[in-house]
Amino acid sequence: MQEVILQTKKIIKRYRKFCALEQADMTVYKGDIYGLIGRNGAGKTTMMKIITGLTNPTDGEYSIFGKSGVSAGSEKRRIGCLIENPAFFGGLTAYQNLKYYCYQKGITDMKQIDNVLALVNLSDVKNKKFRKFSLGMKQRLGIAFALLDNPDFVVLDEPINGLDPIGISELRETFHKLNKENNITFMISSHILSELYAVANRFLFIDKGKILKEVTKQELDLECSRCLVVRTNDTKKTAMLIESELGIEDYKVINNEEVRIYNESAKPDVINKMLICENVGISGIYESGVSLEDYFKQLIGEED
Amino acid sequence: MINMMRADLYRMSKSKGILFFWLFTALIYFISIAFKAWGGISLAEMPEFPENTKTDIGQIAMNFTFYFLLIIPVFCVITSEFSEHTLKNTISSSVSKRQYFTSKFLFSLTYSTVSFALANYIYYAANRLVNGSEYSSALKDFTKAFFTQFPLFIAIVSIFTMLAFLLRKGALYNAVTISAPIVCTMIAQVLMSINSEKEFLKKIRDFGEKLLSYGVETMSARIIYDPSNDYRNNCYIICIVVTILSFALGYFSFSKRELD
Repeated sequence: MQEVILQTKKIIKRYRKFCALEQADMTVYKGDIYGLIGRNGAGKTTMMKIITGLTNPTDGEYSIFGKSGVSAGSEKRRIGCLIENPAFFGGLTAYQNLKYYCYQKGITDMKQIDNVLALVNLSDVKNKKFRKFSLGMKQRLGIAFALLDNPDFVVLDEPINGLDPIGISELRETFHKLNKENNITFMISSHILSELYAVANRFLFIDKGKILKEVTKQELDLECSRCLVVRTNDTKKTAMLIESELGIEDYKVINNEEVRIYNESAKPDVINKMLICENVGISGIYESGVSLEDYFKQLIGEED
Repeated sequence: MINMMRADLYRMSKSKGILFFWLFTALIYFISIAFKAWGGISLAEMPEFPENTKTDIGQIAMNFTFYFLLIIPVFCVITSEFSEHTLKNTISSSVSKRQYFTSKFLFSLTYSTVSFALANYIYYAANRLVNGSEYSSALKDFTKAFFTQFPLFIAIVSIFTMLAFLLRKGALYNAVTISAPIVCTMIAQVLMSINSEKEFLKKIRDFGEKLLSYGVETMSARIIYDPSNDYRNNCYIICIVVTILSFALGYFSFSKRELD
């Protein structure tokens, strides 16, 4: 059984009449790179603020490393965060800023500063003042800060904002490397679907404070990939016939009315004829398959 | 909490604001020692000093100047964290909001009062060295005068810390802390000038007198010279109440506040 790093149960967050999060449930397992996908103002940052203790939920509960309530606070040092924009002291250099946080976190080995700066390619500018940093450099320093204390769980809010394409690619590699080699669990939010898709292995779709769906990458691939949708009144018999008569094994029974065939050689007219001959009721056969963007639009109920 | 204080001490060592605090302090003391005179900022009428007052004791009585100087360390420790939004780094991955407030409160208090004490004792040593015993009192007398006044500055720094957490914005914090004694003195003097025999107005005039007597600038000087134990005790009660209230108000309001 996978170790649960973070679990939220029916989290509600209200700001006066505005409901930023509504009954939000999610589970992050050890080793996950968990992607939070949603539009601006969907509730991603609010969720991250709650789990990092920056704000309190109006209702509901959450546990981190199996601890909830006040005792969850004792696990804070196992979490590295970058929430919203990276914030540091403008008058201090990158090195001095991280040294300040080393003192604060009780880190005695100052080599750790050089290690994290090297990880985000900021070694050359470590003595440059933060106020003179570009947006991308600030973002990378924020990620270095999140990794400073060798955390077990890293929460990053829109970490690729302001980064150039090469920077994004390098960062993606860094996340994968830290995830594989150091077994660090990540929670990353973004509204850039393609980027999040390239790095995460589990996804949570969120909109207007409501959790829409939590899927693994395999499930997402399956739902987005091109397929033949067969709508029938007998999915069991349909599945059996597809397998025995046509030799197709690459299919999935979605629910009581729908079977999806992912085999590219499957012909709708052949399947239609076969099912009619076997007295299976069919209400429709059509091709389906969506891009990530379209899939997200479908989830939030937005028309093209 | 100790780690947080170590981190703040490191940051203060890089702060230019603190440099200003020491430069301004050095300038005042240099003038005092050079001209064998005491002086500082005064808003209201100063109490009469005994004739044989030594320069260093007179200078302690003028410590109201430190009211304005002590705005700087609290500003550097707290409001900069709000203006740069760095407090979210600490609260999201190191400590809770309550621990954060307590640590900052204690650090501001310790750092400011130690700086204040250090400045006074450096002045004492320099004055004694340069001007000799004719213009400086015995260490025991200086220490007695200093610690008589010390609780007042603990209360002042406590209020500053609370205000920094409540107001958050540096400009607002500076505006409120700088103008507060000026506004209080102004109100007190207006009320004191009420010229009427009506009972209600007399009470308002009395209130104005009290406001002036227990204003920061009057207290900082009069607490040393006033022979009345009643006045001194009242000052200490005010200082204790203000210190505790400042901590409690700041603690509860900050721990319940949403951080943006």
